[in-house]
Amino acid sequence: MINFTLFSTYSNEFIQGTLLTLKIASIGCLIGITGGILLALIQTNIKGPFSWLVAIYTTIIRGTPMLIQIMFVYFLLPELGLKLSDVWSAIIAIGLNSSAYVSQIIRSGINTVGTGQREAAYVLGLTHFQTIRFIILPQAIRAVLPALGNELITLIKDTSLASTIGVMELSKRAYFVQTRTFDVLGVYGIVAAIYLVITSVLSLLVYYLEQRMNRNVTRS
Amino acid sequence: MLRVHNLKKTFGAKNIIADISFTVDHGQIAVFLGSSGVGKSTLLRILNNLESLDGGAITLDGKPLDISRVNQDHTVGMVFQQSNLFDHLTIEENITLALIHVMKKSEKEAKDITHSLLAKYGLLDQAQKYPAQLSGGQRQRVAIIRTLAMKPKVICFDEPTSALDPLLTNYVAQNLQELANEGYIILIATHDTAILDKLDAAIYLMQDGMIIETANSKEYAKNPRAYPLIHQFVLGEKNQN
Repeated sequence: MINFTLFSTYSNEFIQGTLLTLKIASIGCLIGITGGILLALIQTNIKGPFSWLVAIYTTIIRGTPMLIQIMFVYFLLPELGLKLSDVWSAIIAIGLNSSAYVSQIIRSGINTVGTGQREAAYVLGLTHFQTIRFIILPQAIRAVLPALGNELITLIKDTSLASTIGVMELSKRAYFVQTRTFDVLGVYGIVAAIYLVITSVLSLLVYYLEQRMNRNVTRS
Repeated sequence: MLRVHNLKKTFGAKNIIADISFTVDHGQIAVFLGSSGVGKSTLLRILNNLESLDGGAITLDGKPLDISRVNQDHTVGMVFQQSNLFDHLTIEENITLALIHVMKKSEKEAKDITHSLLAKYGLLDQAQKYPAQLSGGQRQRVAIIRTLAMKPKVICFDEPTSALDPLLTNYVAQNLQELANEGYIILIATHDTAILDKLDAAIYLMQDGMIIETANSKEYAKNPRAYPLIHQFVLGEKNQN
């Protein structure tokens, strides 16, 4: 059960935490999708060292915990002369992590687009870039939209790991509220409900997009 | 006039096209007939730069045809067996895409060209639909329009009637004949012999990457036995059906 009294007493904490969680998730998601598309295009279009580098990158990212990746970005980048705030360290780490997963999802989508589509575009005189932009990517993304939605939902929940480097996102603020109230179930009940609302809205959005994009493949 | 001289193509050790020569004038149709794997589709794919050629010369209207530029120059077009329309785009967008991004027409010009071609083929009311919402015959006609919009001199059709019922085969054959009458050079690769008596075309029977017999479709219809190899192939196809 959600304790509404607790929520109204500490509403500012929950709202501020939610806003920061949404900021980390949305920018991380933007980095994840943009980076993922670029990595997928490299893997499917460029043979040789670039493709191998992408394979190595995705293997490392997918094979290590995100918690450790956040730590690496937070502690390693300053050593290399790149000073980032804790929030931006979290955003970069989460975005980079997501890009590895998104790249593999998009790559599988690109592989579902038949060679006939590429050949038709080629014969019409479209350039390689135009073919990717107008023909391949829209169809690939449509094919993997449910998987992409799942990845973004995971990303939203993973933002809670930013708390480990002191980012005052939703779960970190919840922790402080809990230390003041000692109402563990009440506080985390509210936090769970907020995450559920965010992920449900995203699920609905993905479902709507899926319906919209698939209307053309269903016979009327 | 399209002149193909001693064309050769190998895949590994296999001669897909051993040695092919033919000429087709504007307004004429050439039908390359044969079973699967004889090299007829490969021939059309070479002319559209979808496959490289390993030997031979191709000229168009007396000038050497640079195969590597046929797509950018819109000299040769291709209508595929499965239409290969872009599933995520409307019929209108399928046609305007290359007009806008390849031929650099304005959106209005591209739409005007598209609408007039769709109207000519009785498909104007389908402009905002998606390919999956059209019948096989309608998709085939959209694919033809998409190619025509680029104003090629040569149009290649790969198995244009193999997925169609007899009624639609008649209709597509009529479209092909009309295109030839408008001055296009039409090349057709097919194993569908039902189309032969509906066209005024040169028939090239292919086997093992070579043309083994040639006939005019009208002459063949009058006296099939004068062309024993084509006749045998036609009878074989009819028996299979």
